[in-house]
Amino acid sequence: MRLLLSSLFMKSPFENLQKHADKVKECAHLFKEAAVCHIGEECKKFDLLTEQVARLESEADYIKRNIRNHLPRGILMPVDKFQFFQYLREQDKVLDEVEDAMFWLSFRPRGIPDEIAADLNHLVDAVIPPIEKLSDLVALATEYFRTKSEAQREKIKSLIRDIRQYEREADHLERELKFKIFATIKDALVVFHMIRLVEIVGEIADHAQNASDRMRAMIAR
Amino acid sequence: MSIDVIVLFLASLVGLYVAANIGANDLANAMGTSVGSRALTLKQAVLVSVIANLLGAVLAGGHVTSTISKGIIDPGLLINEPNNLMLGMFAALISAGLWVHLATYSGLPVSTTHAIVGAVVGFGILSVGPGAVSWGKIIAIATSWVVSPAAGAAIAGGIFYLIEKRIMSVRDPYTAAVHYAPALIFLVVLVLILSVIFKALKNLHPEIGHFYAVLLTIPCAALASLVGRKWVRWQVRLKCELGPNPQGHSPEECLFAQLQVLTACYVAFAHGANDVANAIGPLAAIFSVVKTKSVALQVEVPLWMLLVGGMAVGGGLFAFGTRVMETIGKNITEITPVRGFCAEFGAATTILVCSRLGLPVSTTHVLVGAVVGVGLMRGMGTLDLRILKKIGLSWIVTLPFTIVLAMVLYKLLTVVL
Repeated sequence: MRLLLSSLFMKSPFENLQKHADKVKECAHLFKEAAVCHIGEECKKFDLLTEQVARLESEADYIKRNIRNHLPRGILMPVDKFQFFQYLREQDKVLDEVEDAMFWLSFRPRGIPDEIAADLNHLVDAVIPPIEKLSDLVALATEYFRTKSEAQREKIKSLIRDIRQYEREADHLERELKFKIFATIKDALVVFHMIRLVEIVGEIADHAQNASDRMRAMIAR
Repeated sequence: MSIDVIVLFLASLVGLYVAANIGANDLANAMGTSVGSRALTLKQAVLVSVIANLLGAVLAGGHVTSTISKGIIDPGLLINEPNNLMLGMFAALISAGLWVHLATYSGLPVSTTHAIVGAVVGFGILSVGPGAVSWGKIIAIATSWVVSPAAGAAIAGGIFYLIEKRIMSVRDPYTAAVHYAPALIFLVVLVLILSVIFKALKNLHPEIGHFYAVLLTIPCAALASLVGRKWVRWQVRLKCELGPNPQGHSPEECLFAQLQVLTACYVAFAHGANDVANAIGPLAAIFSVVKTKSVALQVEVPLWMLLVGGMAVGGGLFAFGTRVMETIGKNITEITPVRGFCAEFGAATTILVCSRLGLPVSTTHVLVGAVVGVGLMRGMGTLDLRILKKIGLSWIVTLPFTIVLAMVLYKLLTVVL
């Protein structure tokens, strides 16, 4: 059996990119649950949630490596391979930051001062939607590269605008929270821990936005 | 029973095997694109392939057939040795069949066309010396191996670029597709009718010039495009708007799926016109020797032989090619009707032009070129261009292998018989 045409086609990396984005989304939900639990009370399941995030991160890493390993030289894609890898890198960084934020939360159990607990919760809430939207973004892009439909492209652009808006809101909340930390907390150790934590949480939204920017470059005409 | 009748009988068997192999592999690969895009179901693809391939072989297969038998070596040099020509062509058929058989099972993407050409060259070198081989013709054929996939890529890529720009990228792609459908149908039908006129009528020796042929074709293609427009819209309404669309195509893709039925017929027709000659060419030369007991300078290929060759290709596809098509259909879901249409149109046009020039090109390799052409326009999913290296390797390996094998077999046959 001579399957010349079959051997010309490879499995689309977008399939794995979607799996990766879904892992990121799953992590976002766990992060939200862990943050609410940790900020509000003595959290018994925090360690379990951290473990689950670490496991998801390692699974996503495996998917990332798999994508990279299966796109050697001589592969022709509907998008620039460099931009594709840049996108993957940013999407993966979202996960890394989520994991990092979990670690920073865990370094000081019951270490969130009551004065900023509500604001921190707001910030965490603000960074979840852009992460969730990445999964929708990949799904839309997969369809777009299949059909090259303008309507599909418009949907992607609208989603990218949404993500940018979410990131701006998260940025704004991050700045406000930093002001509040410096204004209300006197203990230098707590200030350091809080500022670093807030920065990491803010970076989650930054990377989600960076990823969407790469997607914009990928769909550029 | 005389020795030449035995040789004819055995050569017919080998020829039928080579033809069946073309159907099971080459034609099945070409039609796999239509199954992959869900433009045709497996059963429809088999039916279309068998009928269109047969028509291609009978109506337009003769021109290439004469090139295979007399274009590569000059039979005039063997005018006093008809038996040598017969044995040589027999050796060529066996070598090609054996090589294609071996390559198929070892996964090397060889071309049946190249195998036959190499084998005829091998026998030519040994029987009448390297001087008898039309090296200019061989160089022209070898050039076409590079030029034809490149032409397929250019045509398919160009068509895809235009379709993407004018149809898929606009706000209402379905309306744009309906708007441009007559032009596309016109183009496909024009090339199809022209190729039939140039090649089929050539067999019938008509006194008709190129200018009048084109003049005659334009109104026919225009009429076909008008009728085709209505047919396409009716099909789209039937399959995509009124009822469920099990293939999951958008309305504009659904329209292209209907157009792809046309290009699929076109590919199968081109295959018949071009590839049946591979198996039948040497057989026609043997038949001519057995019948006339002499070497004819102009080998007339009997119509029934083209018919039998076409049927053997169809039989091979029906018996063994369905599995190939099914596997390709499952594996290459990346081919949408738009991509499939462009690739098939690009490939078939190139094949027919080359076939018109008397160049036996590899249909599958041209199709690969066309698919890559669409890919270069960023139109395909993930394409593994490393296959091009394999194809290049198969070009390099096929010729020396079949040349040497044909030489050995020819020597053996002349000693034994």
